Amino acid sequence: MLSDGDLQAIWLTLKLAGLTTLLLMIIAPPLAWWLARSQAKIRPLVESLVALPLILPPTVLGFYLLIAFSPNHFLGRWWLSFNEQSLAFSFTGLVIASIVYSLPFVVQPLQSAFVHLDKRYLEVSATLGYGKYERLYKIIFPMLLPSFIIAAALGFAHTIGEFGVVLMIGGNIPGETQVLSIQLFDHVESLQYDQAHQLSLMLLAFSVSLLVVIYGFLQKRQQRILNA
Amino acid sequence: MLKFDIQKSFINQHTGTSSELHFKAHIDLSGVCVIFGDSGAGKTTLLRCLIGLEECVGDIQFKQQVWKSKYQKQYVPTEKRRIGVVFQEPRLFPHLNVQQNLQLAVNKASSNTFNIEQLANKLGFSELLAHQTTQLSGGQKQRVAIARALLTDPQLLVMDEPLSSLDQGSKQLLLPFIKEISQQIPILYITHSEQELFYLSRNMLLVNDGQIEASGEPQQLFLNSDLSLIKLAHQGLILSVDVKSYDPDEALIKGCLDGQNLYISAETSPFSEQVQVKINSRDVIVALQPIEGSSLLNCLSAKIVEFAIDTQKAVVLTLQFDSQYLYAYITLRSFNKLQLAVGSQVFAHVKTMSIVN
Repeated sequence: MLSDGDLQAIWLTLKLAGLTTLLLMIIAPPLAWWLARSQAKIRPLVESLVALPLILPPTVLGFYLLIAFSPNHFLGRWWLSFNEQSLAFSFTGLVIASIVYSLPFVVQPLQSAFVHLDKRYLEVSATLGYGKYERLYKIIFPMLLPSFIIAAALGFAHTIGEFGVVLMIGGNIPGETQVLSIQLFDHVESLQYDQAHQLSLMLLAFSVSLLVVIYGFLQKRQQRILNA
Repeated sequence: MLKFDIQKSFINQHTGTSSELHFKAHIDLSGVCVIFGDSGAGKTTLLRCLIGLEECVGDIQFKQQVWKSKYQKQYVPTEKRRIGVVFQEPRLFPHLNVQQNLQLAVNKASSNTFNIEQLANKLGFSELLAHQTTQLSGGQKQRVAIARALLTDPQLLVMDEPLSSLDQGSKQLLLPFIKEISQQIPILYITHSEQELFYLSRNMLLVNDGQIEASGEPQQLFLNSDLSLIKLAHQGLILSVDVKSYDPDEALIKGCLDGQNLYISAETSPFSEQVQVKINSRDVIVALQPIEGSSLLNCLSAKIVEFAIDTQKAVVLTLQFDSQYLYAYITLRSFNKLQLAVGSQVFAHVKTMSIVN
């Protein structure tokens, strides 16, 4: 069965993924809305930066974050001015890295939904008496709920599978930065193939069932609504 | 009262030329005011500017409320104007059922002049309240959309060709309903259907080429040869006929037009005491004496008050009964042979006419 170390890693991973997803669901909708609607000249640049983690090797991202977190640089210095512990090799550091790393997975489904949203629904909402922001969270966001669930699910799943970035900035501290994928790597390194199998199978089953729900149900449902 | 003086310029993406719309009018709002004009004349743009969905320059004032002011930089956004809007297509929210769609409007209404059950009954969709909007037919959707606009408790109802894509049955249900509602709430109604215009309204704005060309009573404007409308009017006019009786054996309505008897074919007995009939100008035969021994049923005595000769050498006569008018197309040859002139008394024989409501 699962060892205490495994359980601790699973719990830490879920905590990291949960917190990251929560924060992303606050940051991503306004960003995706702006990307979908803005005519600003800098929009393509911002869009590229958001998409960067999709193609950049996670180790590169992790390396730059590690440098940014060090006391020699602005972010790290600023953080240490009111914290005792450095961002590097800490859970908070992992959360920040995960937000950057998983951002495109949350932004893109939302951006796509916002692009395909018929502007006429916004007009009707206005004529029904709903103000600029009210019409978004009372009518439009509920209408695009499947896309919000897809975005959250992809962000959550992608954070769970994070490895390269964690390796660079998190190290391998049990209960603090030792997440599932690192634990799995450890098992393989120490030739504990049974435990490695257990964890791998869990991750595989989780990912497959999530994608089946997303592509088999949520995405179809959203398309039906958007094409109505 | 609705007063506006607004301008909007467009730049055509393909030709690079710019065109300018300039709408200016002062309307007394009671009942239905129809905005009438050809497609492309700018009717919808005008309406969208009034609602606040389209940017424009100028002033808009509704009663005591200034919605938009050029110099005082005043602006009331769409959601604060309290206008109920029925678009050409229903625009129901696809993720909600009928009841939930209507509830969104109720939640924002300042008072409940209307309620969901009463409107659902009246518009015949009570049994559809729990249905998803995607399951409804076009006519059903538009009825729900009309109910939704009313449930916002609007001070003005604006409708943009709401019946244009609907079947005859839905039109027959909705037209009398719209007329009835206009007793409570003033309505601005876009259409290019003469039938709807004459049925609904005593007041119209004629929009042509990005401007308000004229405003007033439809009957009057259709007789004014200075307006762009005259081409359409010359095809045929719509007249009101009082219904006296209906004979189901012969399927004929016996009616009265300005005191003269008239027979109209009708499959069923009319619902109202007055019907609107359209008489095509080319279906009118003009004679100096009543024609005897023919199959013609209707012979009306009239006076020529005006005539015009068109480019095809046809003559359009304006015939006056008592208070109503009729156009008749005849050849120049007949006109000369009969020695017609303004003031001539003639008999207008009408071959066919159609009831428009």
